[in-house]
Amino acid sequence: MRFFAFACKNLFRRPVRTGLTVLAIALAVAVAVSLIGFNIGYRRSIDTSIDKLGFQVMIMAKGCPYEAATMMLKGGTGLVYLPASTYEEVRSDPDISAITPIFVGVAEKEASGISDEGGSSFAIISGIEVASFRDMKPWMAIAQGAGQAGGRWFADSATGEVVLGYEVAEYEQRKVGDSYFVSITPYGQVEPVMTELKVVGILERTGTQDDGTVFMPILEARRLFNRPNELTIVGFKLKNFSGLALRQFEQRWAKLPEVQVVGLQQVKTTLVSLVETAQTMIASVAVVAIIVAVIGVINSILMSVFERTGEIGIMKAIGATRSDIFQIIWLETMAICIGGGLAGVLLAVSGTSLVEKALQSLIDFGTKGSLVAITPEVMLTALLGSAVIGCFAGLYPAWRASSLRPVEAIREGE
Amino acid sequence: MNYIEPAAKQIIIGARGLKKHYQRGIETIKALDGVDIDVRAGEMVSILGPSGSGKTTLINLLSCLDAPDGGTLEIAGRQVAGLSEEELVGVRQGVLGFIFQKFHLLPTLTVAENVELPLMFLNRPVDREKTLAVLRLVDLENRAGHLPRELSGGQMQRVAIARALIAENRVMIADEPTGNLDKANGEAVFALFRKLVAEKNLAIVVTTHNLALGGLADRVITLEDGRIVEEKINSR
Repeated sequence: MRFFAFACKNLFRRPVRTGLTVLAIALAVAVAVSLIGFNIGYRRSIDTSIDKLGFQVMIMAKGCPYEAATMMLKGGTGLVYLPASTYEEVRSDPDISAITPIFVGVAEKEASGISDEGGSSFAIISGIEVASFRDMKPWMAIAQGAGQAGGRWFADSATGEVVLGYEVAEYEQRKVGDSYFVSITPYGQVEPVMTELKVVGILERTGTQDDGTVFMPILEARRLFNRPNELTIVGFKLKNFSGLALRQFEQRWAKLPEVQVVGLQQVKTTLVSLVETAQTMIASVAVVAIIVAVIGVINSILMSVFERTGEIGIMKAIGATRSDIFQIIWLETMAICIGGGLAGVLLAVSGTSLVEKALQSLIDFGTKGSLVAITPEVMLTALLGSAVIGCFAGLYPAWRASSLRPVEAIREGE
Repeated sequence: MNYIEPAAKQIIIGARGLKKHYQRGIETIKALDGVDIDVRAGEMVSILGPSGSGKTTLINLLSCLDAPDGGTLEIAGRQVAGLSEEELVGVRQGVLGFIFQKFHLLPTLTVAENVELPLMFLNRPVDREKTLAVLRLVDLENRAGHLPRELSGGQMQRVAIARALIAENRVMIADEPTGNLDKANGEAVFALFRKLVAEKNLAIVVTTHNLALGGLADRVITLEDGRIVEEKINSR
């Protein structure tokens, strides 16, 4: 029997106390792991969602950049438009490698026949120029499965035709050739106009905001919304994308009135910063929880040392050195902390879906994908962190125990 | 196993003028005040005396658990006066085995594991066959896998004796080993001591209040107020 096995056996002498101490560490580690997992998952989710917009930079009407970005990600009702002439002016810029105009409007869904509890009653209509839009998003493809056969993109000049995102089609139970009804309130009018659109194609799942979007030709969208000379954004890629190139581009086009150039990296940063305050607060709670747990561990091990004073004296009498006693007590602390760390990681991993649901209800920036990503690196870091905590938490109790003089320890234990 | 010390009757513990004083307020308590004692291999020495006579103090000094304030003490050829705590551990290891009144077995370890505990600290390999042989010596071989709580007081004390034997120590120090035992178990423990002395050439130093049991030793030393007041040799 070596010291580690011996230390572990000692911990089972007071199983409830040991269990509670391990639980305290486990909870603290679970909070910390979930927090780090959220941090990684959220950033990754934002990265994915924004990268899948296809463009690096966009031009939009002046306003809050992340409001505009989230509008692009999940739609919104506070849409602001810019003159269509902007597109014509900007497209001549020599640094642009690809450009696409987008018109976004919000319509009311009609006659879907589906109970809409908890779901949106609005449809996000995205007016696009097919060729340039597909250049930006080459991964977008028309699905050809059951109910989707014969699907195709619409022509830019087509009227009354739409391509549905995967989720829209699934939720509304539309097939290629079906009608899709929406109520659109044209600009300048009060009464909405019921419009029948024909589904000519359904997109394959992209895992992005496009799954929840209804696409139609940009000219048709402008006509229906009665904004023939307006756009929502112009998205583009620069030939040599860099911070410097973006700044130079911004300076060139700052001359346009009521227009702002927004780099999607900036949008990412802004979206991440939105939850950083909350993350800092949760991190503080996690740190406090860990400190409390560590104090609990020290207290528990110290109690155990005091209870076993006589035994420690006996162990010294039968040949244990100070170093042996130090190692035994220190290993007991390590075992508690590593056990707690392991339990905490398992708790965090098994509770991911619950945390995910809670976060999804609190954070609604339209990001796609998992908000909590507990990677192997995070798990390993948590376990290592637990071991490091154990290293330090065990020092004082181990020193106390190893410093006991055998004759006094035996007398105290009598 | 070969526990037999080749040089029989060799002095293993030799103490001259041992002193241990404690300060209680302005009063100096002379727990031991100039004790001379030799302990030889193959000899059982019992130390008798009333409470406060200095029995436990003497045994703590002879077992290197405490340091004397005066006099000289030699154990297995090493002078121990002035040694540090860690150096005293080195003197105890492999030389001195201990038996206490309260057994002090570790409750989470089995009988066999309790017996093997000193080997862990001596960094020696565990040989379960050897453990069972030692347990056989104390008639507890069939209890090797039991936990201490499943044993009687007498059995626990015999496990403690086995623990003191496993490292093949040359001296066994027993402080009131029968204090928590009934008469029959007390007699059994002393009978076992006699057997170990005879068969293993062990030196045993034992303190007791029990005059009858103490009389079973080869030499009976009586302490009073920190001094030896009588030393009697029993012929066998």
